[in-house]
Amino acid sequence: MKSKYYFLYIILGLCFANISCKKYLDVPPVNIVNEGDLFSNSKGMQLYLSRMYSQMPFEDFKYSPARQFFDDWLVTPGTNEGSSLGRDAGEAMTSEGWARNGAYWVRAFNLLRDANNLLEKLPSYKANFSDEEYNHYIGEAYFTRAMVFYALAKRYGGIPLVTSLLQYPEKDAAQLEVPRATEEETWDQVLADYDMAIANLNEASPVKGYANKYVALGFKSEAMLFAGSVAKYNRITGFGQKTGVRVIGFDPATATAASKKYFSEAYKAANTIIKSGKYSLYKKKWSAGDKEAQYQNMVDMFFDASSPENIYTKDYKWPDLAHGYDSYNIPRQLMGGNGYSAGNCPTLDFVELFDGIAKNPDGTIKVLDNNGKYLLFDKPTDIFADAEPRLRANVIFAGDVFKGAVMDVRRGIYTGSVAGGIAPLRVVNGATNYTIGGPQTYNQTDAYTATGAFAGHKSLFLSQNGTTHEVVTLPDGTKMNGGGLNGPFGTSDLTAAFTGFMVRKWLDPNLPQELVLEGRSEQSFILMRYAEILLNAAEAASELALAGAASPDGDDLQQVMYDAITNIRERAGADPLTGMSELAGEQGLQVIRRERRKELGFENKILWDIRRWRTQHSDMLNGFTQSDGAYYRGLYPFYSSVADKWFFDAGFEEARKRFRITEQEYYFMIPGDEVTKSPVIDQQPGR
Amino acid sequence: MKTILYNIISLIILSGCAKIDNYAEPGETLKGTVVDAATGDPVLTDQGSEGTRIRMRELSWTASAPENLDFFCMKEGIFQNTKVFKGHYNVRVDGAFIPIVRVDTNGDTLVDESKTLDISGVTELEFKVQPFLKLEWQGTPTVENGKVTATVVVTRGVSPEDFKTKIEPMGNYSDDFLNVTDVRLFVSQVPYVGYREWDNRYTTIIEYPGDSFEAHLGEPITITTQGTIPSGRTVFIRAAARINYATENIKRHNYNEALRVDIP
Repeated sequence: MKSKYYFLYIILGLCFANISCKKYLDVPPVNIVNEGDLFSNSKGMQLYLSRMYSQMPFEDFKYSPARQFFDDWLVTPGTNEGSSLGRDAGEAMTSEGWARNGAYWVRAFNLLRDANNLLEKLPSYKANFSDEEYNHYIGEAYFTRAMVFYALAKRYGGIPLVTSLLQYPEKDAAQLEVPRATEEETWDQVLADYDMAIANLNEASPVKGYANKYVALGFKSEAMLFAGSVAKYNRITGFGQKTGVRVIGFDPATATAASKKYFSEAYKAANTIIKSGKYSLYKKKWSAGDKEAQYQNMVDMFFDASSPENIYTKDYKWPDLAHGYDSYNIPRQLMGGNGYSAGNCPTLDFVELFDGIAKNPDGTIKVLDNNGKYLLFDKPTDIFADAEPRLRANVIFAGDVFKGAVMDVRRGIYTGSVAGGIAPLRVVNGATNYTIGGPQTYNQTDAYTATGAFAGHKSLFLSQNGTTHEVVTLPDGTKMNGGGLNGPFGTSDLTAAFTGFMVRKWLDPNLPQELVLEGRSEQSFILMRYAEILLNAAEAASELALAGAASPDGDDLQQVMYDAITNIRERAGADPLTGMSELAGEQGLQVIRRERRKELGFENKILWDIRRWRTQHSDMLNGFTQSDGAYYRGLYPFYSSVADKWFFDAGFEEARKRFRITEQEYYFMIPGDEVTKSPVIDQQPGR
Repeated sequence: MKTILYNIISLIILSGCAKIDNYAEPGETLKGTVVDAATGDPVLTDQGSEGTRIRMRELSWTASAPENLDFFCMKEGIFQNTKVFKGHYNVRVDGAFIPIVRVDTNGDTLVDESKTLDISGVTELEFKVQPFLKLEWQGTPTVENGKVTATVVVTRGVSPEDFKTKIEPMGNYSDDFLNVTDVRLFVSQVPYVGYREWDNRYTTIIEYPGDSFEAHLGEPITITTQGTIPSGRTVFIRAAARINYATENIKRHNYNEALRVDIP
């Protein structure tokens, strides 16, 4: 009996032993798509590239400086660059601490591996493709790698330059550690990868959304401008504790030459696009001298898929891939079902950059007459009646029209006498104070609290939020709420136009109110447009001229600058340049930078600009620098019931959003656990 | 029956916690002062990342590369950390004084005056450093109409020659490093007044372009606060000044001692 069982066991055991040795069972699982399938034709490649594109570090409608990539919640571009403020945003970006998807340091390497994998494996499948297809795919891999390295370099400085496929799990993880390179080596790698992408990519994208030669040229010019600026302006440097490598900043001995090289590359890339003639500024509705047409033209350009200005867009389509830009940034008056609104309130500092506004000698907006009393306007829009059309395409003013509705923006109603003019409102106990020590909100002013000169006759009526109003009976008997439908309401409710302005750029003018929802908007984000190319060319040319370098392609640098700025200003309806000399020297560079802030606000570009210029911490802003903590200003419309006129109060915005950054925060910290667990990854020096 | 089942289940669930963390809690103390090598006076500082930073690295921990354990000096120039693991450490300080660890542009160490020591029980340390600037009050502050006026004298704690001898080998030297860029009269409602704790309604910042401060060195500078401090308040004031040179990538201020001022 027993021996029979033993016999059975032996037979069974032999069976199992045999099976495990059979090679013919070692086949790839048929239910999983493998590389051989993907790399067999363009359909397979589309899958591979789709996965890469879904991880691309695009700063689009799913990016915010606070929460970084791949997060479409509270996307309010502009709120960290000084162009605007929002209830949930409005401080200098100093870290990635809010990024729900983690620091980009960690995310980057997944996509990097996909790109390196493509570069290493695709050559064995070359026979499956035409030369043109094959080269394009190789170009896509280099483009992807360049984008990843660029996104990392502008955040961290020197990074681990993983340029080959790490053999994991075949090799032990400890053998695969790659230390951080120097910042200079990193930018050189970015340059090399963009150049390889440009050399291999097709002239036109084979599929909408893919890169092409000009997309790569565009991003190359942007990245090289960044590199050149850092080499020139950065003052933060140091050596890694573990490796002794200069992981941030440039060696003083090589910085100047490196900066010239990068500016020259930025210039060449941008000028190649300009000379190709493939793109032009959007002017479909533009008409000389017609401000209304110029304004409408600049609104339409963000929604016209056939715009000749678009070099590269990130497209969205509900329900597969949508975003919530309209929901978060819609004027409060037109709020959608999710209850968000006005996340993006432009600052007066941004508005004052533009032409066509009456200004004081110091460049601030003129709201007082020569006697120090408020200028009175018949309509709230009158103060911006002659404003540059581009400003109106960026910003919704009080009383302007959006989606067919007049935008009701009013901080309060002034019921006091207008005989002899209305004196500035920010007065507490008889003392006028427009400094940071003055009243934070209008609730504290004498006119509201009925003290000082207003003792016994309260003359200012406000709304504390969208539902609690002080109601004024006007001389004609009608009743009016203190605050407008869009506020502002002081600090108690910041989902209103709390700087006195609302954003217009990117807001879909045709989206029905019931669709103003999170994850419902589907307008494209323009990642790269021709206007930026012109500005890149102008800035690089200016920097090269300042460095005393010869023109890299023989074109007259002054002429390139002049043409670029002239064309942009003409399209924008701004004041034209007085002459070529206006762009000369250091002063000319400032003119070009200012143009950039006006043209590219709210497009996730300006924050990186002020960081690469290294002016974010040091620029004087309303009496303070951001290294000491600085504040922006607002413009508050008031209605005088006695005179039936409007006046505006300019001063620190009521929320007192404080922007603070220290110089070393131009480089983000490397995530602590990444430093701890690796024997070679260095933290930023000094931190 | 059910109770037994529950007991068994909870035993299984809880068994994961059975291994207790028996690593002794940190109980050693590192304390000390940062003093001016020339006078022996403590080097006064801000409290926070723009003040004097103490950086410890535990060398006896070998399971991974030593991590930086940072804490900051108190405003009087003294420091104390009572939760230190027993072990062998390297300790350095960085502040508004000549760096005690100096490296050249290749990253090679020129001078290393950091201290490497065993920390056990209460270990005391004294760092002798050369502060860039010294600030002293002259007379007592006066108050008029809610404004405080104080006089301060700023002198160099290290001579320009000595500064150049020590900083130049680090590379990229510029004579501009020695320029005093700003003098501030910080005002706050708490005694920990300084760069990280100041009331920007009252604080006065005076900027000095280029080397324009040179003539004011050793001379009394009278500074008045901004705005109007409401009467009945108590504020603390402190003067600070810095030169155009960053240690560990931060341009740090030197300070004098905080004074209490009651606004009548």
